[in-house]
Amino acid sequence: MAVKVFKTSRGELAPGQKRLSFGSAAADLGLIFWFIFSLFPIFWMLMLALKNAEEQTTTYFSFSPTWSNFATVLSNKGTEMTSVDFKASLLTSLLNCGGAVIVSLVIGIPAAYAAGRWQYRGSNDLMFQMLSFRFAPELMVIVPLFVIYNQIGLFDTKVGMIWVLQLVTMPLVVWILRSYFQDLPEDLEQAALLDGYTRKRAFLMVALPIVRPGIAAAALLAFIFAWNNYVFPLILTDSNAGTVTVAITKFLGGGGQAYYNLTAAAAIIAALPPLILALTIQRYLVRGLSFGAVKA
Amino acid sequence: MATVSITHLHKSFGRTSNRIRAVDGLSVDIANGEFFVILGPSGAGKTTTLKSVAGLIDIDEGTIDIGGRDVTRVEPYHRNVAMAFESYALYPQKTVRENLASPLKSGRTGQYTEGQRAERIDQVTTTLGINHLLDRFPRELSNGQRQRVALGRVLVRPADIYLLDEPLSHLDAKLRAAMRAELKQLGAMSNTTTLYVTHDYQEALALGDRIAVMRHGRLVQIGTPADIWRRPADTFVARALGQPEINLLDGVVDDDRIRLGNGSFDVPIPADAHDACSRGDRVRVGLRPCDIHVVGSDADGTGIQGRVVLAERLGRNVELTVDAGGAQLIVLTSGRDGATEGAPVTLTVAGSDIHVFAAGDGDTPRLGLPDRASLLEAAQ
Repeated sequence: MAVKVFKTSRGELAPGQKRLSFGSAAADLGLIFWFIFSLFPIFWMLMLALKNAEEQTTTYFSFSPTWSNFATVLSNKGTEMTSVDFKASLLTSLLNCGGAVIVSLVIGIPAAYAAGRWQYRGSNDLMFQMLSFRFAPELMVIVPLFVIYNQIGLFDTKVGMIWVLQLVTMPLVVWILRSYFQDLPEDLEQAALLDGYTRKRAFLMVALPIVRPGIAAAALLAFIFAWNNYVFPLILTDSNAGTVTVAITKFLGGGGQAYYNLTAAAAIIAALPPLILALTIQRYLVRGLSFGAVKA
Repeated sequence: MATVSITHLHKSFGRTSNRIRAVDGLSVDIANGEFFVILGPSGAGKTTTLKSVAGLIDIDEGTIDIGGRDVTRVEPYHRNVAMAFESYALYPQKTVRENLASPLKSGRTGQYTEGQRAERIDQVTTTLGINHLLDRFPRELSNGQRQRVALGRVLVRPADIYLLDEPLSHLDAKLRAAMRAELKQLGAMSNTTTLYVTHDYQEALALGDRIAVMRHGRLVQIGTPADIWRRPADTFVARALGQPEINLLDGVVDDDRIRLGNGSFDVPIPADAHDACSRGDRVRVGLRPCDIHVVGSDADGTGIQGRVVLAERLGRNVELTVDAGGAQLIVLTSGRDGATEGAPVTLTVAGSDIHVFAAGDGDTPRLGLPDRASLLEAAQ
């Protein structure tokens, strides 16, 4: 049986065939290296979370893995030095951030619609003002906020946290959604007005369903930013409204012993809710829903 | 069904520093059941006028009456007008059926049972030939189909006025001609007062009971299609109507004749302009390409002698570019007269087809018309 050997010399490529070049191979290699480099902290954290107390400071990859850290974190036992009710802080975080996002959406969607549709006196200044909340470092406003919260009784309350998190979530929601509403052709709502619907019904019936992907994106981003916020809960809460970001750091201890393995386990658990939310919301993030409404 | 009267409508856009006057003192009265066309180039204020009637924009000055009722400050959903947008504006998240049902569900266009709604939708989709598309979404339709759905959303409901904003402008030429004919045959259109905005003079002439020509937010001429075609009020209107464009030649008035080109040929002064020009006046003469005829022999010696520079066959007609005494004339012929490139030809124009305008650059008024303000007044 004859064996046919195909010889392809350089310059004779099938149509559409790409030549493997040294340049592209090097680029691939560089990308792989960058990929490893950027994911290494996560890998290290996962590894750390599986180590026991004796091995937690070792820098080699050989250790006896254990799930006990996760059990400890969720058991509310805390450490010898500090007591941490981690499950309660998870729930508090969910309530704080969920509440903050809902309040931002309820107030922010109409605000974004108004800002996107109409130019009124000072409308741009108002939008800029809103954005400027994000300019100032939180540490700059935290001392006056602490004093105010203490005096009006909002210190260590969930309502107080939801309120202060508006500084984080509201600008995001308004700015993201404003651009969605600006992109929405005004003819659509005008058509609804002429169909006999009021401005409010035109908004609810036409504009709102079309910007749903924008609402999903804004809500997700706002939730992640609120979830990751550390300074506000650190200063403005104690045991009642303490969030998961603050709870994590308590595993670092205070009296000489740091529990890096517990901290890593707690951080991994804390990263799950935003991750799950992102995966659930993903299917609403499709764009191009308004395609076909008006001619291009 | 209702009359519409627009009085001294003003609307500007932009900041005080660079305000653009979109509509500048427009007054029009539209009769009950009339098919009224607003014709003008882009930026003439046509859509602004339409949206003012719909109540979609707040006007700066003036009043809008519908059916004798002042609706200037009335919300759009209380005006009972239906509008087809130039951009179609179909609800993307709704099917064709839901789009068409939308005006019937609002409760402000009458109360309908499920059955009555279905009946109305069925009727209008059959008329427009889109009843096989009912369960599709707008994104799944071609532009022509979207156009029909947008039109269907207007026709499906009873309305005092139909407002149509360039409803055919984005269709290809053949489909546009077909839809134009369909529009004219639609029964509802002939009974309901319709305001139709277009930049296409053929649509305007074919569809309109009356046409208003607009430029820079102002009314230039208003009249029946025949009026506007036969007696354009100025060179702007004359140029806007007709393809190829009207020939405009500078001339000097002589005894009973107007000398054109380098003086080697002339045309008679038409009867309507006779009193308005005297010997020695400089004027502009408009001759439509389709009104100039190629004749075999110059029997009475009044024909225009010229030489064909270019002959282009455009389907049924041949477009000739004729050099006559240094002036270039575009002539539309049937092509049967055998005028070929380089051949000498004799041209004639009927006296009634000669348009005389005041001399000057830009847009100049027709001579022999009563002054424009009183003319516009009389037309209303």
